[in-house]
Amino acid sequence: MEDYAEELRTPPVTLIYLVGCPDLHPTISSYLHSEQPPINTLALPDFSKISILGRTQKETVDSGQHGGILKRDWLLKHRTKVPAVVAALFSSDQVSGDPAQWLQVCTDLENLKIVVRGRNIKLVVVLVQSTDKDEVSEDRMIALRKRAEIDSKYLIFFIHNDASELTESLNRLGGALAELANLYYRDEGRRIKTRIEKKNFNHIELNIRYCFKVAVYAEFRRDWVEALRFYEDAYRALREMVGTSTRLPPIQRLVEIKIVAEILHFKMSTLLLHGGKVVEAVVWFQQHIVSYKTLVGAPEVVFLHWDWMSRQFLVFAELLETSAAAIPNTSSLILGSSERLLSEWEFHPAYYYELAAHYMREKRYCLEVALSPSETLKRIESSSESVIQYVFVGQFARLLEQGEAFVMQTLTDAEYVHYALAEGKRFQDSYEIIALLKKSFESYGNLKARRMASYCGSQMAREYFTLGEFSNAKSLFDGVASLYRKEGWITLLWEVLGYLRECSRRLGSVKDFIEYSLEMAALPISSVAESSSCKGEYGPAGSPALPQREMIHKEVFGLVKGEPILTSDEGNCNLAITDDQPLHLEIDLVSPLRVVLLASVAFHDQVVKPGVPISLTLSLLSQLPHPVEIDQLEIQFNQSECNFIITSAPKETVGASSVGETDTRLDSVPNLNLVTNKWLRLTFDIISEQSGKLECLSVIAKLGPYLTICCRAESPASMDDLPLWKYEDLVQTFPTRDPALAFSGQKVVQVEEPDPQVDLVLDATGPAFVGERFLVPVTVTSKGHAIYSGELKINLVDARGGGLVSPREAEPFSMDSHHVELLGISEPDGESEFQAGMDNIKKIQQSFGLLPIPFIKLGDSWCCKLEIKWNRPKPIMLYVSLGYLPNSEAGAQTVNVHKSLQIEGKTAVAMGHRLMLPYRRHPLLLSKIQVASESDHSPSLALNETNILIVSAKNCSEVPLRLMSMSIEMNDDEIGHSCTVQQGGDSPLDNARLVPGEEFKQVFSIIPQLSFPKLAMGTVSLRWSREFGFEEQSCSSLTATKVLTCYKLPDVNVEMVPLIVSLECPPHAVLGSPFTFYVKIQNETVLLQEFKHSLGDSQSFVLSGIHNDTIFVLPKSQHILGYKLVPLVSGLLQLPRVTVTSLRYSAELQPSLSASTIFVFPCKPQFMVDDMGSKLPEPIAT
Amino acid sequence: MIVCVAVVGHQNNPLYLQSFTEADDALKLHHIVHCSLDVIDERVNNPKKTGPTLNETFLGLLYPTENYKVYGYLTNTKVKFILVTTDLDVRDADVRNFFRRFHLAYVDAVSNPFHVPGKKITSRTFADRVSDIVRTFGLGTAV
Repeated sequence: MEDYAEELRTPPVTLIYLVGCPDLHPTISSYLHSEQPPINTLALPDFSKISILGRTQKETVDSGQHGGILKRDWLLKHRTKVPAVVAALFSSDQVSGDPAQWLQVCTDLENLKIVVRGRNIKLVVVLVQSTDKDEVSEDRMIALRKRAEIDSKYLIFFIHNDASELTESLNRLGGALAELANLYYRDEGRRIKTRIEKKNFNHIELNIRYCFKVAVYAEFRRDWVEALRFYEDAYRALREMVGTSTRLPPIQRLVEIKIVAEILHFKMSTLLLHGGKVVEAVVWFQQHIVSYKTLVGAPEVVFLHWDWMSRQFLVFAELLETSAAAIPNTSSLILGSSERLLSEWEFHPAYYYELAAHYMREKRYCLEVALSPSETLKRIESSSESVIQYVFVGQFARLLEQGEAFVMQTLTDAEYVHYALAEGKRFQDSYEIIALLKKSFESYGNLKARRMASYCGSQMAREYFTLGEFSNAKSLFDGVASLYRKEGWITLLWEVLGYLRECSRRLGSVKDFIEYSLEMAALPISSVAESSSCKGEYGPAGSPALPQREMIHKEVFGLVKGEPILTSDEGNCNLAITDDQPLHLEIDLVSPLRVVLLASVAFHDQVVKPGVPISLTLSLLSQLPHPVEIDQLEIQFNQSECNFIITSAPKETVGASSVGETDTRLDSVPNLNLVTNKWLRLTFDIISEQSGKLECLSVIAKLGPYLTICCRAESPASMDDLPLWKYEDLVQTFPTRDPALAFSGQKVVQVEEPDPQVDLVLDATGPAFVGERFLVPVTVTSKGHAIYSGELKINLVDARGGGLVSPREAEPFSMDSHHVELLGISEPDGESEFQAGMDNIKKIQQSFGLLPIPFIKLGDSWCCKLEIKWNRPKPIMLYVSLGYLPNSEAGAQTVNVHKSLQIEGKTAVAMGHRLMLPYRRHPLLLSKIQVASESDHSPSLALNETNILIVSAKNCSEVPLRLMSMSIEMNDDEIGHSCTVQQGGDSPLDNARLVPGEEFKQVFSIIPQLSFPKLAMGTVSLRWSREFGFEEQSCSSLTATKVLTCYKLPDVNVEMVPLIVSLECPPHAVLGSPFTFYVKIQNETVLLQEFKHSLGDSQSFVLSGIHNDTIFVLPKSQHILGYKLVPLVSGLLQLPRVTVTSLRYSAELQPSLSASTIFVFPCKPQFMVDDMGSKLPEPIAT
Repeated sequence: MIVCVAVVGHQNNPLYLQSFTEADDALKLHHIVHCSLDVIDERVNNPKKTGPTLNETFLGLLYPTENYKVYGYLTNTKVKFILVTTDLDVRDADVRNFFRRFHLAYVDAVSNPFHVPGKKITSRTFADRVSDIVRTFGLGTAV
């Protein structure tokens, strides 16, 4: 695009002239230039210069015999020389001045008019005034206008001394100029248009020229639609000219047509693209190419045609690129809006760049063909001198010197061809092609079209290759090859590798040469099927066929054996491997050379004991076309002492100990020949002394004296398919004979630890109890190993799974959230001073402990105790592992012993409680009446009444326990004062022994002293210990530890009691003897209370007293109902039922059955007389 | 005239590629087929651009090169068929018809119990059938 002249590339801009008053010119010019649309200005200082506007002698050339289509300088002339409007500036004092000045004005105007009228140029007269005050007389004004023959509106007053007036004037002037310029271009366009319409031309060339001119004038007016239409007309007319015109010699004729077509098409594309009509532009371009593609022209200048084609694509690509930058949404165009579906790439410049490069290559080829007859070269040099471009676009002429003047002489076709060839030689097409391809490559890369990009890349690389820039070519080819490798395009890869091989040969890089050659030789190119279909250009690789692969194979192995290869055709440099530069190739898991050598290593087992041999199968596979003989294989492990070497010579095996001084094992097998696509399987035994992982790292094959290939070992189980070969239709083969091993074999084996010779004993007697410090003795006994730097690891794990911590449950007993915790480790008594020093080494956490143990001699033992405390009944697993070194040497390996033990955690004591009211005393508890329906209310106690609490502790374990004390502890001071707790029964526990299943009860009396709805009664603390049997206590060192079990009593509701009904009767009665039975009703309130009471009849008694009545009890006083009863029968009898009803509280009281029974003796019991007074009343008192 | 047909697998690897020209441009055809995969990728990844061809196996004209036109077809198993022709004026219906028949031939070929999916198609019957389809390209509808 840069080849085009500026006037073609940019839209034309209106041109005007300014004459006179030169000091105003800069102001006016800059104003007009910044107008929208801008106007270019040519400023002439005075009227004497006006003659340059006059016609030159070129008219004569125009009418000459030798015509053309477009004149080269026509457009430039209209943009830089021929104005649309001339503005004549006169100052007001000139106009209104003395007659001499006025005369001068008139003369200038006349001269101007003569010049202007010939070309229809419009005229504006500007009267420059310094202020609007200095008036010019009306007569002079009219005279001036008449002289200038202009409309009054084109006589403009220009006032320049006042800023606002100046702007006003400039606006006025600008408006008039734009209007007139538009008028001028329209008139000119119309004038030529009429010529077209009247077909007023002799030649078709003129038609084209006229259309072009109309279009340009339309462009001046920014009438893009008309411009486009006339460009199209011109283009069509031009296309018709092909084959009909006879004006020029045929070669030059076609050249001219094509160049004009190019210009016209360029104009159209620009207009279309700037109008955003990308689809139309692309369709136009295609038509353009289709209609000119076949116009190849004479055979000797075919290259010109391809050059032209290439330029079309390049220019269109550049146009697309610039317009894509201007119009961002070209990519979102709806495809297929025209009837023909356009594909994606046709909207991207990359496509056109690539084709431009393609045609450029075509051009280069044709040019080379045209230049090849060497004898023409000389002549070309001489005859191409002094040929220049002719006045018409696309024509060339020879410039001859005739005396003083230069004369143009037309060329014959032969002369032109020579000129064109000479011109063609000047350009370096290869770099041009590379530049084009590079643009395409980058553009495709941005579009993420990798395959297109790599195609461009490979073409670019080929250009570099032909230019001899091998390192550039190689880096490009490398990128391309990786894509082809990945996608398995073998034929394409073959070609690229061929180039790469050649590049590295030319660059003298032995390693690369061998790598590429080996890869080529191992490509899956089968013998028959493909070779027939793969004709054509494959570059230095040759055709992809088996013989070629075999040839490459032989060449490489010849090189490996020391036969040098020439690096260049001149033969002055050798490619060889020498012993001072041995070659080492690495093949890893992603290397393309895996097809050359693949090493699979499988151990036959997954674990092995140290010192025990394990079988290892090494399988090698190669896809090279010929068998490969391996001289030596070295297998390397992560434990280097296991490394060994395999040689193929069987005779050397006996004397192989010569290698023994390097401590490397030497094996030999009869045959180390690798046959194409056939696994070479070798099985060996390996002994590892070191526990841990034994992994085969790599297999190093030595081929010939200088080449080693290091192949990363792969496990058959996780081995990828061979790249490229995996698409081939081959029989599946396994690296090992045993197919199961092929699927599961690993290159890693776990070497176990040596067997421990130490006993680790965990002792635990029975279940552990919650709360107790449970001791687990751990004994370490050395049986075969002395123990150096041993270490015990202790772990507590929930046996049922789940953690030992439950964050949700609040722990009432222990602030610690662990259900089971390791409290400590106590060591043997004798080493207590030693223990103090080790405290900092011991690490004990709730469920984990770490304990170093001292050196233990062979046969000795060592013991410690683990203290574990259960906070919740929970079974746990106790894991103890001992790690030690069997000797004190530096390389000794740790031996581990693991033991585990499940320990149940149980609750030893089940605690319970019962609250009771005093016997035969019934306080009215209002809450009982009101919320009888609610089941979960806390027990209610009467204020200031004695209540009885019975706490029971039951042994639910399987061992006897010894109880030490039971007490109720108030845990809060304030509430502690609120009730009095007394321990009933004066007897202490006396270390009561509690056999399994037995229940122990303790009675407390509680007198609440504070009315409070939620009164805490405190916590029962039970201290107990495990009671060991006699023999247990003697034999083990276990000592009973005191355990505190806490039991929280529920909160009680203490309330005021309004009424208390108590029954009183003797503890027993005697048959036939009367006794008194009282019902005492006590009113604790300050109100008068009304009661109803009734007494039921009983057959067992004869009674006297009121059966039914209503009574009133005064505040804070007591009413006593007395009945006299005579028992009629003996035994445990039910007293007559008493029912007391409080009317105020509508509460009825019926004593319970147990409270209203009495035992009646048949006669007076004699034996009890003494005790009666002291013992029997006791239950009532408590 | 059809100059080349190709079957391309999931990983964009060629499964079958046959050219039908006497000229020495087999390599060029390889390049063309390979490059056309970019267009298929583009169409498959940005289906909204192509609008009406969404969910259709026939991908239409992939791209025009200077001498060839390349058409594409994508099976439900993401195997691509590519056709390269030198005819400048090809009817869509012909190409569709061709791909339909080609697809049938491909299905028969891979249904062979001895064929391992994902490997190259080496069946001679398939090759014969393909060349038959190629030979009759454009004739069926023209008659």
